[in-house]
Amino acid sequence: MTRAQSKDKAQRGASALDVAPSRHRTSAKVIHDVLPYLAILPTIVTFVVLLGYPVLLLFETSMQKFGFYEIINHVTTWIGLQNYYDVLFRSPAGLPDFLTVLFRTIVFMLVNVALTIFLGTLVALLLERLNKWVRLILTSAMVLAWAMPVVTGAVLFQWLFDSKLGVVNWAISSLGVFGDYLNHSWFETGLTTFGVITLLIVWQAIPFVALSLYAGILSISKELPEAARVDGASERQIFRHIILPALSPLLMMLIFLSVIWDFKVFTQIYAMAQGGPDQQTMTLSVYAYVVGISDGKYGYAAAASVVMMLLLLVVLIPYIRRMIKSLEEQ
Amino acid sequence: MNRRTRRVIINGIGILVAFFFAFPVYWMVNTAFKNQEQFQTYVPVFIPSPTLDNFTKALNQPHFLDFVRNSVFVSVSTVLLALIVGFLAAVTLARVRFRGRKSFLLLVAVAQMAPFEALLIPMFLAIKDWGYNWVPTLIIIYFIFTLPFTIWSLRGFVAGIPVDLEEAAMVDGASRFGAFWRVTLPLLAPGLVATSIFCFITAWNEYLYAYTFMSEEKNYTLPVWLVSFRTNFGTDWGATMAASTLFTLPVLIFFLLVQRRMVGGLTAGAVRG
Repeated sequence: MTRAQSKDKAQRGASALDVAPSRHRTSAKVIHDVLPYLAILPTIVTFVVLLGYPVLLLFETSMQKFGFYEIINHVTTWIGLQNYYDVLFRSPAGLPDFLTVLFRTIVFMLVNVALTIFLGTLVALLLERLNKWVRLILTSAMVLAWAMPVVTGAVLFQWLFDSKLGVVNWAISSLGVFGDYLNHSWFETGLTTFGVITLLIVWQAIPFVALSLYAGILSISKELPEAARVDGASERQIFRHIILPALSPLLMMLIFLSVIWDFKVFTQIYAMAQGGPDQQTMTLSVYAYVVGISDGKYGYAAAASVVMMLLLLVVLIPYIRRMIKSLEEQ
Repeated sequence: MNRRTRRVIINGIGILVAFFFAFPVYWMVNTAFKNQEQFQTYVPVFIPSPTLDNFTKALNQPHFLDFVRNSVFVSVSTVLLALIVGFLAAVTLARVRFRGRKSFLLLVAVAQMAPFEALLIPMFLAIKDWGYNWVPTLIIIYFIFTLPFTIWSLRGFVAGIPVDLEEAAMVDGASRFGAFWRVTLPLLAPGLVATSIFCFITAWNEYLYAYTFMSEEKNYTLPVWLVSFRTNFGTDWGATMAASTLFTLPVLIFFLLVQRRMVGGLTAGAVRG
């Protein structure tokens, strides 16, 4: 018997039981049936209207000539895919090429994700080997970094790396190995500015990754690594063949989240350098903000945002698939 | 290398890594308490002779109380709104089998992944005629931001409380609603607190939308003010760090309360899955 058939039968059975439903019971049943939908209605309205409408508006705007003139005079000029063509081949004057920004964003994201995951894994393994007190100290220190509001982090790192009175320049100079770093300016080139931004992002992201992985390691049974050790396996072999496979679903999830977070970074970059120097640290989110809000090229910025969203969607598809799969199992 | 030296080395590395994470935070607080003289030297002062001058200066900025009021108002309203709407949906998802439940779950999951950085332009166009430079607009935006996580998180907490408890209460004569109210809700309190704190922190920290949507200084929230403060008072690091410390303090306290739950929250189900 197929599932549908059995369900059908069950329903018929149920209706057979309600031989003579009293009026009261019918209304109670109606309420009972309707109640769940009433309860989720506000959420549906929020997502479909408050979130769905801006998404539609994004696509709509991306196909219009929409700038300061149009916004003031309330005119709509449809121009089809012109904005997308411009995004790909004709950036507005005074702004870097969109494709350059896109490439930069992807490289930036990859570097940040790789560093976060690699160092986070190392710290998780370290946590497991520490004695109780040192572990408590390290965990507390990481929670401090993790809890920092991003805005505070951006302001704080500017101070740490301040050219004149920053403690980092003082520390490097006193080491004596790298020569005199007093008055060295970190925010003068794109690369070193990115360096500071990456340090900030990784500093704040490692705690979450490391503590999650550490919790994951603790949930692996102790017997298997113990048995392998008795059989003469090295620590490296135990990590590669026992710990890593057990952690891989969690690791995938962490990589996935990091990719999404680091691809759309805005606050760290904007609060620290506004995309400067010379727009060299402009990534997609900053670009969309500057073109759209500052320069008022709404249509163009919308098209750039659509491209950004579609790229994110590529990353999201495996996640959504997994989501659907786990829903089916429920 | 014998086992003992190895252990000492590993714990030594642990301390170094802890230093790496804690130092910037320590430096923020340290700077906030420094006096003017201690800023004049190239050699940093690691233990200041504490003064509250920097805090006084930060607190005496024009509109400071407005920023605090805006931030508290926006964050608390976001929490209340997200909690009420999210709670209804979460309980329904955890306790009721209704037709369309899976589609609804999927909707929540998709909404959670919405890239708000990419939606800035249409959001701006959607609110510009009625909500530009109006503080409550931010509540609506942050409510949309936080609702998916709220539902997700609360659903987990509700599902973690066995239905048997409610049923037992119903056998003893409680109504279904009464059973939920008296039995499940008290057990749910820690979950409600943790979820509220998460929403609060998200709203409290948000920068991009607050910066874009609020044009007049008196409508700024604290993050917008902090960044503009740092730009305008670029060289006054003492006051900037004092302001940063004040802004960070409530987040830190709240965060420490729920940190344990946050680790599991975002990756729930990934290990055993």
